[in-house]
Amino acid sequence: MGSVKVDQLTKEFAGVKALNNVNLDIQEGEFFALLGPSGCGKTTTMRCIAGFEQPTTGTILIGDKAVNKIPPNRRNCGMVFQSYALFPHMNVFENVAYSLNIKQLNSSNVISQAGIYLRLLNRKFGKYPKDIEKKVMEILEYVELDRYATRLTSELSGGQQQRVALARALVMEPAVLLMDEPLSNLDQKLRHSMRNTIRRIQQDLGITTIFVTHDQEEAMSMADRVAVMDHGEVMQIGTPTDLYSRPATPFIANFVGTSNMLKGTVVDEVDGLSIIKGDGFQLRSSQTSTKKEVDVIIRPENIKVYKADRVPSDASNLLEGDIVVSTYLGSIVRYDVQIGNYQLVVDTTYSSGESILAAGEKIKMSIEPERVLLI
Amino acid sequence: MNKLKDAFNGLTLVKALIYLFFIIFMLLPLFSVFLVSFTGQPINLLGSLTDPKILSSTIEKFQGASIESYTSMLQNSSYGSALKNSLGLALLVALIVILVCIPIAYGIARTTMPFKKTISALCTIPLIVPTFISAYAFIIMFGRAGWVTHIWQSLGFEGMLINPYSMTGIVLVQVFFFFPYALWPMVAAFKVSDVTLEEASQNLGAKNWFTFVFVTFPLAIPGVISSALLIFTVSFSDFGTPIILAPSNLNLLVVEAYREIAGFFNWGGAAILTVVMVLVAAFFFWLQHLFTKGKNYGSVSGKPKVQKLNDNKVLTRVITVYSGFLVLIPLLAMLSITLQSFATTWGKDPLPNGYTLDHYKTIFTSSMGNIQNSIILALGALALSVVIATFVSYFVVRQNSTKLDFLTSIPLVVPGIAFGIALIQTFNTAPLHLTGTALLLILAYTIRRLPYMVRSTMGTMRSIKQDVEEAAINLGATPLTAAITIIGPLMLPGIAAGSVLVFITVIKETSISILLAPAEWAPMSLAIFQNILRGEYYTAAAMSIVLVVLVLILQAIANRMSARNPN
Ligand SMILES: Nc1ncnc2c1ncn2[C@@H]1O[C@H](COP(=O)(O)OP(=O)(O)OP(=O)(O)O)[C@@H](O)[C@H]1O
Ligand SMILES: [Mg+2]
Repeated sequence: MGSVKVDQLTKEFAGVKALNNVNLDIQEGEFFALLGPSGCGKTTTMRCIAGFEQPTTGTILIGDKAVNKIPPNRRNCGMVFQSYALFPHMNVFENVAYSLNIKQLNSSNVISQAGIYLRLLNRKFGKYPKDIEKKVMEILEYVELDRYATRLTSELSGGQQQRVALARALVMEPAVLLMDEPLSNLDQKLRHSMRNTIRRIQQDLGITTIFVTHDQEEAMSMADRVAVMDHGEVMQIGTPTDLYSRPATPFIANFVGTSNMLKGTVVDEVDGLSIIKGDGFQLRSSQTSTKKEVDVIIRPENIKVYKADRVPSDASNLLEGDIVVSTYLGSIVRYDVQIGNYQLVVDTTYSSGESILAAGEKIKMSIEPERVLLI
Repeated sequence: MNKLKDAFNGLTLVKALIYLFFIIFMLLPLFSVFLVSFTGQPINLLGSLTDPKILSSTIEKFQGASIESYTSMLQNSSYGSALKNSLGLALLVALIVILVCIPIAYGIARTTMPFKKTISALCTIPLIVPTFISAYAFIIMFGRAGWVTHIWQSLGFEGMLINPYSMTGIVLVQVFFFFPYALWPMVAAFKVSDVTLEEASQNLGAKNWFTFVFVTFPLAIPGVISSALLIFTVSFSDFGTPIILAPSNLNLLVVEAYREIAGFFNWGGAAILTVVMVLVAAFFFWLQHLFTKGKNYGSVSGKPKVQKLNDNKVLTRVITVYSGFLVLIPLLAMLSITLQSFATTWGKDPLPNGYTLDHYKTIFTSSMGNIQNSIILALGALALSVVIATFVSYFVVRQNSTKLDFLTSIPLVVPGIAFGIALIQTFNTAPLHLTGTALLLILAYTIRRLPYMVRSTMGTMRSIKQDVEEAAINLGATPLTAAITIIGPLMLPGIAAGSVLVFITVIKETSISILLAPAEWAPMSLAIFQNILRGEYYTAAAMSIVLVVLVLILQAIANRMSARNPN
């Protein structure tokens, strides 16, 4: 029931394409992240799934059922808004109880409906039934907010508000949980702990979750799979490690982690290794490319650094360069190295006691052919 | 698509009902009156839809339609002179108000004048008083037996200082009681004028007065013109002052129209006058709109500029004394009414001969009904406008319904007397025979004051973020349920502020009450008006005081509320 399929979704606003042929296939129970720069259409995709936007063309299926014609209030997608969108005139308890009230409203006669409306308008006008109260308190306990049940939402901290929004969406037991940049309003530290909270709850409940973010670290650390979007199109879908080690485009390579990008030409193929020549370098890669002109991607941590006189004999893809900047980052040291016209970023793990190479030093570097990516 | 439609049906239905409301009770009457101005005889459009007989007679009337009535108006008939006089009056009042306001506006905006706060507060008094009461107060002061006249004559002069029953009297009342409408926009205009330009002018050695005349004032001109146009429209549409003060040889559109309908049942004549009134008011309203459009950015955007206030001792004191005089007149007018309401008798003396509470006893025994009527009618109009305004602001803000926005601002343009005539004319026969019912009165009040309510609710609506509403829908609520349970409660502050405004203006409302109220539903304003006509001045005064006190109390409540809810 909880799988989501987005099939050839295109959305135009006044003739301008915000989404162009988006296809997503999200498994039940999966934590799926939509990652991309601002304006790439993440929110629009999510709003189409939630039903707030009508697709221009394309189909959306939730649990094998096409939902295009189902209005947003009957899609059973729990949504956590970027701004949380808590009801400011209701306390924490009432916020969370809202969907349960609505459910009861839809299944009762006119007289009890009036009672529920009164209760919704002002808590003094009616008592909540036991089962609603129990359910709300359970979920509040779960997000560790039971002590705050009677607080107004404006009297909570950002992280607490975030958890109210989450509880409010979860209490309706949605088929899918949609979260639009839920952490972007929190400070750095809180963001880290909320990541864990969200991930834990998602795993606990096994709820299909779509998570929108423009923060690659967030997407990579939380999601089972990530879809990278740009200009309204899906560029690549894969597990975080997939995306990192086999980015489909230079854009993704850049967007997902730091990378060095060199332009080169495949000049030969020897023993299953491609030989690439570029401006001031020659590299061998275990990948093959159908194109001749290629982008060579090398992750900073895949470059080994040696002092010029201490190069091991089995080192492959030897390069020579000058350190321009050397930055100590705690567990790693980052060097900016000049090779010809390129400046490469190189990360080396740092264990205490080792000496750090200084700017101006001449060094040698090596890269395993498996780590030289061709796009 | 069907299910999607189902879900939105509730709101769509509400929207359709609101359109229907405006079409039947606003557009239809205005359109009928327009048609009648050509046929010269009442026509029944609603009836024509339901009854073929009425339809055929309507068609007959159309065959007799002509523009003769309009052409004769252009020649020198009494209508023509009424139009000329009304335009002249409005023009004169607008000009005088602007001239009178320039020093105060400058004083409040750009100087350290003493008693600035007090004077600003006193400047709101004129807005509280319905104009026919102000006009009546002028009679108490300047009339043949007025206390000003008494002082005037004891100083050795002949006759009266000012004859209130004249064009001069009308102009003076309107100037003294309408100037605050222009004052605040002008203060704003003087505030936004570019300070750096002024400083440049002064750096170049220009004198203060030179800077004012050639730099500050020209920069404020758009604001000043817009204020002048506003005053023009207000004066042109005012019914209360002329109906009390216009002498029989002074034709004014509003009075003429009232007489045609209330005295002679001359539908054709009243219709022409109505159409002319609406067209003139609409034209000037439109002009004013042109001038204000996009002109208030200075006050909205960015940081407030620090302005150097003029602290020239002589100048600021002169301005304070002058402003004091200006607000003194309305104050004295109200004082005169208060004295009269407590007077046993008050002849041609500076003070009453004795004091009594009898007049209040009288109104609280025999006229309690009028007070009740006023409150009930105002509450009715209030309830209706709350519902309509809430939904209208929802549709305008959320669904960008510019048509509804436009519809709800039409009443701003239509003078009360014109709208009253249109309603009487349209609803005085079957199938919707409402003339003479409290319902039509409530409908008229509602439509006329709806713009105030909508302005207030629209502001709050804009401040409610769309995603709060979407969250409710996402949690399973239909749009209608979300509107009732989330949007409604969040709009309460705006609704409350608008409500007080509507309540106040309905209680003050003169033209509609006088034209439409049936005897058994006579509100206070009608009762006062009739008392004045009958010469029962003391009870009229007492009732006026009750009305003004009621308005003051409500105003105080409103101020309290807006102080607590700064948005
Ligand atoms: N209602 C709308 N009308 C017109 N254009 C829109 C509308 N909503 C979104 N767009 C456009 O569609 C594109 C995608 O917008 P969307 O909000 O989905 O981006 P996003 O990926 O969520 O960006 P961000 O990270 O900044 O939130 C943008 O170019 C935006 O301007
Ligand atoms: Mg977004």
